[in-house]
Amino acid sequence: MIQKIKASKSEKIIFFFLISLAIFSLSSFFLIKNKCLFVKNYNPEKLSFDKPNNIAILNVECGNVIIELYPNISPNAVERFKTLVRSKAYDDVAFHRVIKDSLVQAGDLEFGKKGNIDYGKIGTGQSGLGTINSEIDVPFNYERGSVGLARTQKYNTEDSQFFITLKDEPLYESEYTPIGKVIYGIEALEKIKYLNKSEYVLRPDFINSIKMLID
Amino acid sequence: MKLFKFILLYLFLISSVQADTIYQLIKIPNLEIYNIKTTNSLRYLYAKQPFTIGADNNINCFRPSKQDLDQKYEIIEKNLKRYSQSFLKKINLKYIVLCEDLSISGINTAGIPDNVMKTLIVDIKFDNKYFERVLHHEVFHIINDSFKEIFNEKTWSSFNSDSFNYAKCSTCTKKIGLDTYSKTDGFITEYSKSTASEDMAEVFSHLMHGNLPKQIDPILQKKIDFIKSGLLKIDQSFNL
Repeated sequence: MIQKIKASKSEKIIFFFLISLAIFSLSSFFLIKNKCLFVKNYNPEKLSFDKPNNIAILNVECGNVIIELYPNISPNAVERFKTLVRSKAYDDVAFHRVIKDSLVQAGDLEFGKKGNIDYGKIGTGQSGLGTINSEIDVPFNYERGSVGLARTQKYNTEDSQFFITLKDEPLYESEYTPIGKVIYGIEALEKIKYLNKSEYVLRPDFINSIKMLID
Repeated sequence: MKLFKFILLYLFLISSVQADTIYQLIKIPNLEIYNIKTTNSLRYLYAKQPFTIGADNNINCFRPSKQDLDQKYEIIEKNLKRYSQSFLKKINLKYIVLCEDLSISGINTAGIPDNVMKTLIVDIKFDNKYFERVLHHEVFHIINDSFKEIFNEKTWSSFNSDSFNYAKCSTCTKKIGLDTYSKTDGFITEYSKSTASEDMAEVFSHLMHGNLPKQIDPILQKKIDFIKSGLLKIDQSFNL
């Protein structure tokens, strides 16, 4: 006959503690794995904009990044960006150059497409639309969240690649063509994958999509 | 020793890549912003640590003291603000790097101009006697490099007497005196006799500094007129 043994008070406490610990560990594992957990996702439908025609919505893993474009500052560059957005050229393109807390760069349409990345050439690709002239004469404050077109060491070589600054970069003024500023959701860009030892990212994060608020 | 190597490796592995915006822009390491809010949009940077650059790592410069930097900045800014923003844009000059004991291949130099990178490196410890004038001398090299066709060296050399020949380079001659001649014979300083480019820079710097000799010989006058007309071709509003 099996004799029933009643658990003592201290045994009950230890048992409760172990169960709690297991639950905490499991939940922590899933919470930590979700890098987007504390990133607010902005819904552009619920926001109002002064110039909705110039609002672009960049969707990344952690949510929407809402960008106001400035055609009055750089008409040609903004037009190029809008053209590529409308043709969905930026969808599934890598954030190939990321410097922690400083800058994210994407838009290599030739060598940065998901499933067709060329790590040897990424950052040098072109859109096929040709280069455009730099538009750097209008004063522009390159503060955190500024969006600019990337170029080679030479001016007038802007094409499809763009960057977004994650900190103030006053020296970029009159160096890089500005196209706009992030007005909501920059936190989502801070979660873009970066490497500790290189600006160029192996197995990078991708742009899910970029859309104009009003097509 | 093993522990030391391990610590070094650990530090290497945990250190993350740092954004060096200035390096990205002008390919000179160890710089910091001194002042970028200037009337003509020149951006003044200084060496926070020594730096070595150049194809053979042959250019070196060192960190200046705060006191020297503050003192010399006033002089440099006063001189360089005479160039308008539009002129600087045309000649491709945007960044002034301030450091001390600047040398190229072991030879001390007042400045190193680079119109491709839009940069002029200035040795703030260069001889005070010539310092202000030399700033304009170095600016002229930027102008010259950006407008070679205007400041044609053959045309310039034709102003000299037939028997005169410049040296093959500015460092392959002992003619390095910077004192202004009181009596000129086609040249304004001894250094003018080194190369056509240095000769032009010497004339330009004297024009800018306003210390031309009282008596100017016909050859030198031709050179002065050549420089003045060249500058007006670049910028009609250029004011000497």
